[in-house]
Amino acid sequence: MRTLLRRLRYWINRRRAESELAEEIELHREVKQEELERSGLSARDAMAATRRELGNTLKARQDSRDVWGWTWIDDTIHDVRYACRTIVKMPILAAVVVASLGVGIGVNSAVFSWIQAVVLRPLPGVENPSAFYLVEPRAETGSYPGASWPEYNDLRARLRSFRELIAFRGAPLNVGEPDRPERSYGLLISDNYFSGLGLHAAIGRLIDHDDASERKPVVVISRGFWKTRLGSNPNVLGQPLRVNGQTLTVIGVVPEGFQGTVLAVDFDLWVPASLAPGLFTGTRELEERGQRGYSVIGMLQPESTRVQAQSELNAAMRQLAQLYPESNRKFEAEVLPYWRAPRGPQRLLASGLAILQGVMLVLLLAVCGNTANLLLARAAARGREIGTRLAMGATRLRIVRLLMTESLILGLLGSGIGVIIALWGTNALRAMRISMAIPIRFQTGVDATGLMFSILLGLACAVISGAAPALQLVRGDVQSKLRTTVTAAAASPQPRLRNAFMAVEAALALMVLMAAGLFFESFRETRIIDPGFQVEGVLLSAYDLTGGGAGHVQADGSIDPAFSRAFADRLLERLRALSGVESAAIATSVPLDIHGLPMASFRVEGRSSADGTPDRALINFVTPDYFRTIGIPQLAGPGFVALNDTTTLPQAVVNEEFVHRYLLDAEPVGHRFRRNDQVYAIAGVVKNAFYDSFGEAPIPIVYLSYRDRPRASGEIHLRTRPGAETLLAGEVRRVLHELEPGIPLFNVRTMSEHVETNLFLRRIPARLFTVLGPLLLFFAAIGIYSVVAYNVAHRITEIGVRMALGATVSDVVRQIVGETMRVIAAGTGAGLLIAFIIYIHVVPGGPIDPRIFLGIPIILLLVATAACWLPARRTAEVDPMIALKHQ
Amino acid sequence: MNVSREAPDLLPGTLDLLILVALAHGSKHGYGIAEHLKSMSADVLQVGESSLYPALQRLLLNGWVKAEWGASENNRRARYYTLTSAGRKQLRAEREEFDRMIIAIQKVLQVT
Repeated sequence: MRTLLRRLRYWINRRRAESELAEEIELHREVKQEELERSGLSARDAMAATRRELGNTLKARQDSRDVWGWTWIDDTIHDVRYACRTIVKMPILAAVVVASLGVGIGVNSAVFSWIQAVVLRPLPGVENPSAFYLVEPRAETGSYPGASWPEYNDLRARLRSFRELIAFRGAPLNVGEPDRPERSYGLLISDNYFSGLGLHAAIGRLIDHDDASERKPVVVISRGFWKTRLGSNPNVLGQPLRVNGQTLTVIGVVPEGFQGTVLAVDFDLWVPASLAPGLFTGTRELEERGQRGYSVIGMLQPESTRVQAQSELNAAMRQLAQLYPESNRKFEAEVLPYWRAPRGPQRLLASGLAILQGVMLVLLLAVCGNTANLLLARAAARGREIGTRLAMGATRLRIVRLLMTESLILGLLGSGIGVIIALWGTNALRAMRISMAIPIRFQTGVDATGLMFSILLGLACAVISGAAPALQLVRGDVQSKLRTTVTAAAASPQPRLRNAFMAVEAALALMVLMAAGLFFESFRETRIIDPGFQVEGVLLSAYDLTGGGAGHVQADGSIDPAFSRAFADRLLERLRALSGVESAAIATSVPLDIHGLPMASFRVEGRSSADGTPDRALINFVTPDYFRTIGIPQLAGPGFVALNDTTTLPQAVVNEEFVHRYLLDAEPVGHRFRRNDQVYAIAGVVKNAFYDSFGEAPIPIVYLSYRDRPRASGEIHLRTRPGAETLLAGEVRRVLHELEPGIPLFNVRTMSEHVETNLFLRRIPARLFTVLGPLLLFFAAIGIYSVVAYNVAHRITEIGVRMALGATVSDVVRQIVGETMRVIAAGTGAGLLIAFIIYIHVVPGGPIDPRIFLGIPIILLLVATAACWLPARRTAEVDPMIALKHQ
Repeated sequence: MNVSREAPDLLPGTLDLLILVALAHGSKHGYGIAEHLKSMSADVLQVGESSLYPALQRLLLNGWVKAEWGASENNRRARYYTLTSAGRKQLRAEREEFDRMIIAIQKVLQVT
C-alpha cells in the first residue's frame, strides 16, 4: 500500500524526478572524470573515457525509471500518438472504417438496450428487478389465467421461500365526474405491494397495510397522471378523485420512472384490492376462488433457490387442490422469472429480440471482415516501414502493440458513433406511439451496461479486424521486408488472406441481407395477404358497463345479463341509424390483438377425442351482424338469430377449420357441442381468418352470440362508407352518452390502426433493415473496391507488359474481375448454404421465396462485380508505356 | 585501464544489501556509495551507474532509504541517501539471511 503511494507520488512528480536523476548521474560522471584526471589522465582522455559510458548512463536512467513501473504508460502514450498520426494520414479509410463499425455497433447496442428493457429491467423504477419471480397458476389446458384472491392469500401464508409475495391486477377505471368520465388504467394491489417492491413515495405516502385492511378509500397516482391530469398541483394530497363512481382520496404519487408491474404497460392509478367490491359494484373477486386474474410476484429469500420455491409451490398447490377441489382440482403452478411472464406482449418480444440481436451480430462480424480487409490492403504497403522498425531493434510484440493501438482507436471511435446511433435508436423506440388498448411505454435507454456493451463491441471489433493485419506484418524475416517493394507485396502470400476475408465477408453480408429480406417480406406480406376480414372502413371503440356505477347490478355483483343484452341491442340500433354507418356489431375480442384471443374447451356431441381431453378452440362473443360488419364471408347456415329472439335454442357459428378438425367435414349446421353444461347448435360456418397473427396456420374458432351469453362490455365494430370511419368517433361517443351517461367510450381506433399495432413488432426490424441492408451492401462494395483497386495498382507493370504483348483492355478487365469474382462467388455460395440451413431450422416448412433465395445473392454478385469492374477498368485504360515505366 | 568494468557478478539482491550497509555508516550520495564499496572491498567491487541508480530507485520505492538534496564536499548539489528505520530493519533481516546463505555455501564448498 505504502509502495503504491510512493509509486503514485513518483508518477505525479515524474518530470522533476527524471531531471533530478539525470542531474545526479551527471554529477556522478563529472566526479569520476575529476578522479581520473587526478590519477593522471589528460582532461580530454578522461572526458572520452567517461563519455564512452554515455550508453551506460542512458541505460542507468532507463533502468531507474523502469523501477517505478510507469514505463508502460509512456509507451502507451507514444503508441496512441503515433496511431493518431497514422489515422489522420488516411482520412478516407479511417472514415469508412469508423462509420461502418459505428453503424454495426450502434444497431447492436440499440437492440441490446431493447432487450435490457424487456429482460433485464422489466420493472422500471424497481431496484433489483431480476430478483422477482412470478407465481403463475397453470390450468390443465395449459393456459395461465392468474391467481384468485383467496388463492393468493393461501399461497402467501404457505410459501416460505419468498420474502414477500405481492399480488396485483390491472383494471380499466373510469376517472372523473359522471358526465365526463375518462378511461384510465389502474392496478388493484395487495397491502404489501409497495413495501414488497421497496418503493417510496415521491410525494405523500404509498398504500400500506392499514389502508388495505381498513378499506380506506385511497388512491396513489403516477407522476404522469399528476402532471397531465392534475396540472402538477402541489396540493394534490387529500384531493378527492372520482373513480368508477366512488370518491377516493389521493394520498401519494409514485416515484419517477415507476410505471407499474405489468411489462411495458404504463399505469396511472394504484388502489387497494380490498376496494374492488366498491369499484366494480359488488364483485365477489375477493371471495370467489373461481375468479382468477391476479398476478403474483415475489422476491426469493436470500437462501432460497427457484427449484426450492417450485417444489414448495407444488406442495402448496396440491394442498389447495384437496381443500378446494371445485376451483383448484385442475391447477398446478409455476415459478417463472418475471420477464418470462406468460401473459402480455413480452412473450412475443423476448424471442423476436433475440433473433434480431443474432442477425445484428452477424452484420457486425461482416463489417469486421470488411475492416480487416481494408486494413490488410493498407498493411501490405507498410511492409517496409515495419521492416525498418524491426531492423532498428523493435520487438515484434512492440510492433503488434503499435498496430493494435491503431485498430483499438478505430474501434473506440466506432463505439462512439455507435453510442450516438444507439441513443437515437432508443429514443425512437421510446417515442414510438403505439396505439393500443392499453398505454404501452418502454423505458429504454443507454445506461452504464449499454455503454459498456458498446465499448466492448468496439474493442472486440478492433481485435477481430486488427489482429490479422498486424500478425501478417510482423511475420517473415526482416531482410525480405526491407527489400520489399510494393510490387512484391502484392505477390506475397497476403492476397490469399485478403481473398479469404473477402469470401467470408461476402458470406456474412449475404446472410444479413437475406435476414433483412425475410424480415422485410414478413412485414410486407401482411399488407398483401388477405387476413380473412376487411380491414378498411371499420371503426372500433370499446365500452364497459361494469365501471358505470350502481345501475342494473345483480346480487352477486355482475351486471344483469338481460340488461347487457338489451343495452347491446339498443346501442346497435342507434348506431345503425347514424349516417355513414352501413352495419354495426359488437364483439368481445378483435382479431389480431396483441394479446390474442381467449381459448375455450368444449365437447362435440358424438365424438370422443383420443385421450379424453376436451377439444379446444378460440372463442369470441359477437352480435348477429358481426360477420357482415367485419367482412368475414359466411359459407353455410342461416347464422345467428336476432338479439331479441327468445325462441331459438343457443347457437354457435364456427369456422372451416373447426368443421375440418372436430366434425371431420361432416355436415356442420345443426351439429351440437357442449360447453360449460350448455348445449349449442351450430347455426353457420364462416371462412377462416387470421386471429392471433399474420401468416398463422388455420386455428379453429367458435363464435357465440350475445343473445345467449350477453357480455357487459364489448368492442363496437362499425362498417362505414369508405373514408367515413374516422369521422364517426364523436357521434358514437354521443350515442353512448345518451344511453348510459356514466359510461365512457374508450380505445377508439380504426381497424387498420388496430392491425398496425399488431405489426409493430415486425415493423421495427423491417424499418431497421430497409436502412441497414443497402448500407451493408454499400460497405461491402467499398471493401471489394478498395481491395481490387489495391491489387491492380500493384500489378500495373504486369498489366503493361500484357497489353504491350497485345492483350486488349477488356481482356485485362475480364481477367481481374474473373479472379475476384471467383472468390466472392465462393463466399456467396457458402453464405447461401448456411443461410438456407439456418432458415429451414428456424422456420421449418417455411416458404422458399425465390426473390430472397435467388434475388438477393444475384444483387450481391452484381454489386460486387461493379465494385471490382470499376478499379480494374481504370487501371487497364492506362497507357501501356506509362504502366511499363511505372517501375 | 578499463573504467567501465562492472563489479563481478554478485549474488542476486546483494547489491541492495551492500548499499544498505554502506549507508548504515551515514548518509552518502551515489558516487560516495560507489567509492565506499570500492575502497572497503579493496577495489574488487566497482559498481557502475547502470546498476547503482536502478538499485537506489528500488530502495526508494520500498521506502528503505530516503533522498535529500545537499551540498557535496566541493559544494556541489548532490543527492544524499539516508537509511530509514524500515531500511535498518531490512538491513538486519538481509544480513542474517546473507550470513545463513554464506554459511550454507561454505558448507557445500567444504564437502567437495
